[in-house]
Amino acid sequence: MAAHINPVWQRRTASSNRLAKISAGFLSDSPEMKNDKDPCRVIPFLLDNPGQSWITLELGQVLKQRGHDTFQHRIDEPCGDSRNPLRDALDAHPAEGDYCLLSLTSAETVRACRLDHVVLLVPANLDSVRTAYQRIKLLSERNVPEIGVVLVGPRDQHAGWRYFRKLAVGSLRYLDVPLLNLGFLPEQVTPEHGQTNQHRTNFLARISERLLRSEFYSSCTSEKVARGKP
Amino acid sequence: MKLRIEPSPTGDREQLRALLIDAAEQLAGIDSKVLEPKLPWDGQPILVADKDLHPVLISFDLQQSQAALLSGLQGIEQLTAALPWVNQVYDVLQQRQAPPKLAVVSSEFPPGAETVLHDCPNLKIFRCQVLRVNDETGLLLEQLNDTRQADRQITPQLTTARQVNPSPVKALERSSRSEDKLPALSNEEAAYFQQL
Repeated sequence: MAAHINPVWQRRTASSNRLAKISAGFLSDSPEMKNDKDPCRVIPFLLDNPGQSWITLELGQVLKQRGHDTFQHRIDEPCGDSRNPLRDALDAHPAEGDYCLLSLTSAETVRACRLDHVVLLVPANLDSVRTAYQRIKLLSERNVPEIGVVLVGPRDQHAGWRYFRKLAVGSLRYLDVPLLNLGFLPEQVTPEHGQTNQHRTNFLARISERLLRSEFYSSCTSEKVARGKP
Repeated sequence: MKLRIEPSPTGDREQLRALLIDAAEQLAGIDSKVLEPKLPWDGQPILVADKDLHPVLISFDLQQSQAALLSGLQGIEQLTAALPWVNQVYDVLQQRQAPPKLAVVSSEFPPGAETVLHDCPNLKIFRCQVLRVNDETGLLLEQLNDTRQADRQITPQLTTARQVNPSPVKALERSSRSEDKLPALSNEEAAYFQQL
């Protein structure tokens, strides 16, 4: 009882706990384990088609301009669930950076990578919205990730909102999966309508802000780092 | 109109270069621009800029695929080292410093290229055949390492020295979705997504 009320005892307990923690960390940590505390933030994008890769590339440039060290990864082939292709890719090409923009074209790969966030790039037409819904349905079969949507190529904000609402209401009603609206890229800023311009950069900047503000990323550590191997 | 298609002898490297320059949009994508028709490097590759302002090195050798690949890889290394300079020289690149890409053109898939492909996402390999169609010389180009589904959908395009048809590449990029086995929609879902 005296120990509980004696401030000296209390301080000592707290202090020895802290010391124990420090000492445990000190003894078990190898230098590589420091990376474990600061894992790479992966922002996965599920592309409707490979032609959309300009979006992740230019988004990476926008993030860089804003002082975030960013690198790109791309996994093209659909993968089974038996291994994690993202971990393999990060092991093969460990890159330094705050954010990894990961381009994927297969929902199966999203599942295989065990990603807990994914951004769907959805062209603004009914066929693509339906396909996006089917992909969400596939993803929702198990371990549903957080799903964000960027509408690509609507005529204006209102058109973009209508397509998003169609997809979001359908997903919530039939799959019980909420979607996060991350913004849109109107048709005037797509490469079909000209070279890079400030207008496009502004739209991408808005999307990047929403991504970062909502902490819309998966934290991923490569196998080597996790095991503390050199 | 009858089409007479036959293989053409491919001895003249400069003629092949001219044909490849005409087919640059097939190799580097639509809206690509030729920056340098003959770089004074090993294999004398062609340098173009794609629509996203990446410099694209086209290394070619119809007879020796491995030589085309190796000189291409060497060239891409030189190009990476000289990227700031290249961006300064060619205004088209708008100082974007975008990483370079490589297209290797030969009559066959270079032996051992699978390993290189695994590490180089920016590498494309094309099989090329020179053909004569009604006395006009053209190239039959077929990309060998596009994404799997694109590989199955791609149809070889014939490019003559006079006529280039870039649209199939664009159409391919837009249409080729991954071959996920997507779940079917119920009647209610299908009705919901019938209209906006």
